[in-house]
Amino acid sequence: MHGTYERDTRTGAGRVELVGLYKRYPDGTVAVDGVNLAIEDGSYCCLLGPSGCGKTTILRMIAGHETPTDGEIVIGGETMVGRAPRQRGTAMMFQNYALFPHLSVRDNIAFSLRVRGIGKRERYREADQVIEQVQLSALAHRLPAQLSGGQQQRVALARAIITRPRVLLLDEPLSALDEFLRLQMRSELRQMQTRLGITFIHVTHTQLEAVAVADQVVVMEKGRIEQSATAREIYASPRSAYVARFMGGQNVLRGTVETVAGGVATLRGPGGERFALRLATERSLAGRELYFAVRRDHLRLTRADAAPPSINAVSGRVRAVEYQGTYVKVAVDPATPGAKAEGGDGFVAYVEEGDYFRDPVVPGTTVVGSWQIDEAHELASGPATAPAV
Amino acid sequence: MLTAAGRRPWTFYALAAFFALYVAFLYGPMICIFVLSFQGPQGALVFPMRGVSLHWFAELVTQTETGDILGAISRSIPLAIIVMAATVAVSVAGGLAFRDRFRGGAALFYGVIVSLVAPGYVLGIGIGLMFQLLGLPAHWYSSALGAQLTWTLPFGLLIMFAVFGRFNRSYEEAARDLGAGAGQILRLVVIPIVLPGIIAVALFGFTLSYDEFARTLQTSGSTNTLPLEIWSMTTNVTSPVIYALGTVTTAFSFIVIGVALSAIALIQRRRYGRALPAGRH
Amino acid sequence: MTRTSPSGERASPARPYLLVAPLLVVLLVFVVAPLAFVVAVSFFHYDNFAIIPAFSFENYADVLTAHLTYDLYLTMIWFSLLTWFFTLIIGFTVAYFLVFHVRNPLIAIGLFLVCTVPFWTSNVIRMISWLPLLGKQGLINSALLATGAIRQPLQFLLFSDFSVVVSYVHLFTIFMIVPIFNSMSRIDRTLFEAAADAGSSRWQTLLHVVVPLCKSGIALGSIFVVTLVMGDFYVVKVMSGGSRASIVSAMYDDISTLLFPHAAANAVILMIIVVIMVSLILRVVDVRKELASQR
Repeated sequence: MHGTYERDTRTGAGRVELVGLYKRYPDGTVAVDGVNLAIEDGSYCCLLGPSGCGKTTILRMIAGHETPTDGEIVIGGETMVGRAPRQRGTAMMFQNYALFPHLSVRDNIAFSLRVRGIGKRERYREADQVIEQVQLSALAHRLPAQLSGGQQQRVALARAIITRPRVLLLDEPLSALDEFLRLQMRSELRQMQTRLGITFIHVTHTQLEAVAVADQVVVMEKGRIEQSATAREIYASPRSAYVARFMGGQNVLRGTVETVAGGVATLRGPGGERFALRLATERSLAGRELYFAVRRDHLRLTRADAAPPSINAVSGRVRAVEYQGTYVKVAVDPATPGAKAEGGDGFVAYVEEGDYFRDPVVPGTTVVGSWQIDEAHELASGPATAPAV
Repeated sequence: MLTAAGRRPWTFYALAAFFALYVAFLYGPMICIFVLSFQGPQGALVFPMRGVSLHWFAELVTQTETGDILGAISRSIPLAIIVMAATVAVSVAGGLAFRDRFRGGAALFYGVIVSLVAPGYVLGIGIGLMFQLLGLPAHWYSSALGAQLTWTLPFGLLIMFAVFGRFNRSYEEAARDLGAGAGQILRLVVIPIVLPGIIAVALFGFTLSYDEFARTLQTSGSTNTLPLEIWSMTTNVTSPVIYALGTVTTAFSFIVIGVALSAIALIQRRRYGRALPAGRH
Repeated sequence: MTRTSPSGERASPARPYLLVAPLLVVLLVFVVAPLAFVVAVSFFHYDNFAIIPAFSFENYADVLTAHLTYDLYLTMIWFSLLTWFFTLIIGFTVAYFLVFHVRNPLIAIGLFLVCTVPFWTSNVIRMISWLPLLGKQGLINSALLATGAIRQPLQFLLFSDFSVVVSYVHLFTIFMIVPIFNSMSRIDRTLFEAAADAGSSRWQTLLHVVVPLCKSGIALGSIFVVTLVMGDFYVVKVMSGGSRASIVSAMYDDISTLLFPHAAANAVILMIIVVIMVSLILRVVDVRKELASQR
């Protein structure tokens, strides 16, 4: 259509690389603390983390709305630091969308063409095509305040994609929507990404959202990347206790290494329990404290009066039982008094509904949770402050 | 008292009556002179009405008894328009600047407050003296213009502070993201969004200038603005012609106010539907 | 992540200064410099023909030894206190009604505008519009005579302290309503329910919840009203029928007879008195918070 305006379609044009990215604000807070990350061309990447972890700052630095204190941003092999937002081939979808309240849907979407000096007829023709893509043709003349949340989100998306970006940056795109719409728009976003084939970088604080849409999930904490991997990998093998707790569905346990043999360590837990843990790499760790994770749905609960397994088991008193439909969530306090003070916070088991109701345990019952050696997963780092979900 | 529905407490009726009395107090005298301006030719400054006529309005235009009213109007309206334009430009720029902290900002802000609360006539004397001692001639378009700005700018700025306090900066970022330059962001995004606030500033700029007295008295030079003319009439004129002038100038003010407020209401209605005009930008 | 830092860091540091430059120029040329001229001239000599640059306190001596000066200041301070009292009572009540008793916000805004519209019209006209009401043959006296309530027209209605205060209240109540209305609008209405739950009567809630929360609005309004009355020129002159003068109209008379340095000394004293009155108000309530929240 317009020479310089055409999307760059070279292979790898939408590959984003962050090298040693660092951001300190004038007030001294470090928002982003040395981030290295590669996002493949045409992939859907989610930056995931709690409030204040630096994920939005990263997004804004990629977009060019903030300048890194140090480090490089490379898109499609070209370094971007110092370039204006429009020269980066990125487009941003803002939290709450920032739709111009005085412009109609059509004028909002055609805005980038207008500021490029493209005539009315042509920009409306082009805008109308995009409006059709996001199924808003009937609403083209409405103002943003006359649209529902979901419609506003589509306008924001259309306004961004009409610039034919190589990379689309989405800042908490679903946070303004109610639960039902959020699920619907989430899958629309993913479909749109697949159709356009461009890179999406999506910032969110919701684990389920990230896991549902992303090819690559980047879990962040305090300005650093805790883990970057596929959703399944992050969920199945969290690297650290932080990731395990933040992603949820995991019990984080610990013990002191007594012996290591044949790649398997024997640990003693805070309550005197014995654990066998297959190590990721064979190494000598005697005397060290190790953390590991066991998925909640992998814990098998038995009453304490049955003979407990001598290894890979923890016991405790049931604190709460929550019915969840297909399964029952059983929260257990640690048995040994004082274990809690030491940081043992008990464990949670997801018991399949049918299994639970064959022999329901009520709060106060003493139970044992056990697992197979291959169901435990070694964690690279220790204590974490992330709230258990 | 704030029960969601149902009967209103007795305090509501007491306060509503009080409010009605206040409104009567506010508008009653104005209505009186409005009525009296239609006195018959034999009518006096007070009731009763001796016939109904447009005699005193005609008197206004023919200026047999009065001073240079048409001349005063021909100065007051252009002056009000210039003051309005300057107030809008300076207040919008100032409002934009005060969104960020900058060194000296607090001092400047206190300067604005001083300008607002300083006795107007004292400022007028100061400006008059300054022009006199510097050998500059005082005119409505120089010294009086500056004097009036010291009254309109504080109002304009306080309005713009409130408007920009509610302005979401992600609109500007979104525009920049879409490729707009600084000028385009201002012209296509910021100004249209804060337009209702700008109209309010314009309304203050125009009407406060059009009715300004204390600061203008020593600064308008040898010619009068309309309020000065009216003032001199209060001491010389003893016929209802002064009421006719009051009716004309008040009607003009009402038209200006009506146009400005309707424009604001129209924009808000268009933008936010039936939602509150106080809706966030 | 919630740091929506407005990328102020990207903007050039000169930007705010360029934007406030026109404002700064106006303030320097038309506020700071003129006030400096007034202060300077207040120390000048003068005779019947000219003003002579000098540094002398004779103007202040003249002003401060004149009996008239004290009369003027005491009168105006008395007027400003009376006006303050009535505008506060009326302004608070009207704002309270609009904010807490009118349920439909559109109607509340409409009624608020009804109160503010006269502010945008001519004060001189609004003042003289009292003449046909309060005069000896005015509407009020005629009505009272007609009903037989009085035999002689009430003299105190016009060209008296009464008519002066009525005019001030009429002109300046809006300056109380607006800031108090603003403060009240920010009060969380669930506080009323909380207070009622705690067993507070309506009157106690008003006194212990509403009044403290609109302190800054009351203070702002008070500053407006007090400074406006102290700086008044024409109301005293016209509405007292010439029997009284205001501080400012005394200056006007000086200037008409070319006694500039005398008027300047008076102006400086007026400024000092106004500053003292304003700082007394600020001493009771810190309005900086209120002004800052406007930004």
